[in-house]
Amino acid sequence: MTFAGDFHCEDYNALSDEAFRALVRRFLVESHPPGLRHPPKRLHWDRAEPWYMILARAGWLAPNWPRQYGGMGLNPGKQLIYVEEFEKFGAARTPDHGMALLGPLLINYGSEEQKAYFLPKILSGEHIWCQGYSEPNAGSDLAALRTEAVLEDDTWIVNGQKIWTTLAGDADWTFCLVRTDKSGKKQEGISFLLIPLDTPGITIRPIINLELDDEFSEVFFDNVRVPKANIVGEINQGWTMAKNLLGFERIFLGGPRQAANALGKLRRLGAHYGLLEELAFVDVYAGFLMELEDHQAFFGRVAEKLRRGESLGPEVSFLKLNQTSLYQRITEYGLDIMAEDGALLEPLCGNNNLSMPNQFLNARAATIYGGTTQVQKNILAKAVLDLP
Amino acid sequence: MIDAETMSSIDMVRASTRGIVKHGDLSRIRKLRYTREGFDREVWSTICELGWPGLRLPESSGGSGLGLLAYTALTEELGRGLVPEPLIPAMLASALLPATSLESQLKGETLVLPAWQDARNTLAPQQQLDFANGRLNATKVYVPMAAAASAFLVIGQGQHAIVDANSPGVSIEASGTQDGSSFATVRFRDALCKVFEADAGPPLAEAALATAAYLLGVMRAAIEMTVGYLKTRVQFGKTIGQFQVLQHMAVDMQLEAEVTSASIEAAALQWDRDGPTAAAQASISRAKARASSSAMKVTRDAIQLHGGIGFTDEHDIGLYLRKAMVAKESFGGTKLHRANFARLKPVGDQA
Repeated sequence: MTFAGDFHCEDYNALSDEAFRALVRRFLVESHPPGLRHPPKRLHWDRAEPWYMILARAGWLAPNWPRQYGGMGLNPGKQLIYVEEFEKFGAARTPDHGMALLGPLLINYGSEEQKAYFLPKILSGEHIWCQGYSEPNAGSDLAALRTEAVLEDDTWIVNGQKIWTTLAGDADWTFCLVRTDKSGKKQEGISFLLIPLDTPGITIRPIINLELDDEFSEVFFDNVRVPKANIVGEINQGWTMAKNLLGFERIFLGGPRQAANALGKLRRLGAHYGLLEELAFVDVYAGFLMELEDHQAFFGRVAEKLRRGESLGPEVSFLKLNQTSLYQRITEYGLDIMAEDGALLEPLCGNNNLSMPNQFLNARAATIYGGTTQVQKNILAKAVLDLP
Repeated sequence: MIDAETMSSIDMVRASTRGIVKHGDLSRIRKLRYTREGFDREVWSTICELGWPGLRLPESSGGSGLGLLAYTALTEELGRGLVPEPLIPAMLASALLPATSLESQLKGETLVLPAWQDARNTLAPQQQLDFANGRLNATKVYVPMAAAASAFLVIGQGQHAIVDANSPGVSIEASGTQDGSSFATVRFRDALCKVFEADAGPPLAEAALATAAYLLGVMRAAIEMTVGYLKTRVQFGKTIGQFQVLQHMAVDMQLEAEVTSASIEAAALQWDRDGPTAAAQASISRAKARASSSAMKVTRDAIQLHGGIGFTDEHDIGLYLRKAMVAKESFGGTKLHRANFARLKPVGDQA
């Protein structure tokens, strides 16, 4: 592997958008393992590792981190291009919680020792991280979380349970929101704790989801002993820190990719069943394509704000509402035109492109994760429409 | 992307509407409903003084040379105020009028209104005009505000005719519309006419997008009024805006407006950049289809959220619904534009 360095640039932000886009494309064409393009499911570490290491060696793993910490130091506009091109290419998503979530938090709030120890190990792939936020009784109401950390001498004793932990079985460490104070407002008694997953008392149990995939796990903590120094920032400041980092990245939850992919599948299914001349199909398809173009226009307008250096307000959530609704309706219609074939477990002719049942099931999650549609509407009503 | 110069001219266009669009005051609009002409001649004079009818024309023709994006910004503002003056029809006529007839039109001395439709539910004239010996024989339908026209610009397929409204052989049969205006069936029997040639396709498409933007303004104002009502109306001891079901309906209304706005803006930018290509025409159809269906959803839900008072003619919220009922079909409704989009972008051609 000789390409590390070939794509290195002292200041990516100084490139024009077109030049940077071309660079990302060339990087993907020359570096991405061909067999891993367009994976139908999230890859586990054993398959994702080669791609992760290619990104790591090229210095392209952390587009969002500043240069001094080994990231690409991209501004929001360039990050958007990076993500757009990765998605367009069908690049495999790596286990990226360390890069996407923990890294920025450590860079903003971690001690010098924590930054020096953890950040290089994320970049080298030595530490794979998973996120421990949600709990069985703290989903949409995340601040109600109850997994508890009690300080005894110089050790946190952690008890409780996390759920919906993505790729926990592949991870070495987890960053958790834990309850460290039960007396005041629920948001004010939460701390941010780093826990090695090989600590005695931790049990990981995979959850089989509606797609019959084991992407998620439950993680149980039974008197788990964690060094005092593993807390990030001040005690009871975990909620505020995590919330402050929910920045412009929310735009990615509202990108057009899922709906665009589903519409591509619908078109191929239409061709497969000989429907492309049938008026009813053509009418519905045109309606979806118009909605997709509308959404692309909507997304483009918000992305343009980012490029101009403006910050995004809560109205960015409108993107997610719109995209997920369209995504779901396309898959529902696709399932209908498949008729009995839509009941099959395996794709038609063994071709992943001729399948809608999995897409339909996958779309169920889109209005749940990252803030359910209903919670987003609660927030928008207050923050945008100024309703009580 | 919108450059700074365009942005500032659009801001100026929007600002220029302040004298005519009275925020939250629809008393003028109410008074004009169901009158013969349906609009105010003095306001029309002001509109001509402001130069709006020439907005899209080059400066060499006495216009201000602005793009379709600026035009849609203007009609969005007019939609907010339910302004009834016939700017969109007049601009369609101005886009086609020969230079000799244009000056008096832009000054407001004449009001040439277009008569383009010869059938219900169409996007363009279906028949060639018959003007043997300089005399027109034709029937045009759904001609808005025909009673106010000084002349008609009768649009055919490539060849068009100008006919004085008072000429012998011109008869107007007007019918009231839901919004308090009217359209007419206009019959021309051996009517003396001047014939000229022009491509009416692009100006008709522009009128469709301008109407979409007008509907966006209607939506925005209806949402504003409805959200205001949710914050003040008290039932069960609290303002009804505290009820989650109503909050979610309001958010859905706002989402419709946001998507419509993005769709219109993208279509206008594409048109201004690429000209009237098939893809740009498809984008206009997309935006008009969206605006028509979204405006209906928003104004229906606005009535529902007002409850009983929303069902009265006395309350202004109903004015928005009635305007949407008319404008949604003006220059083509949702189904027609979806079919047009499908024709311009066939599913078989998608990569």
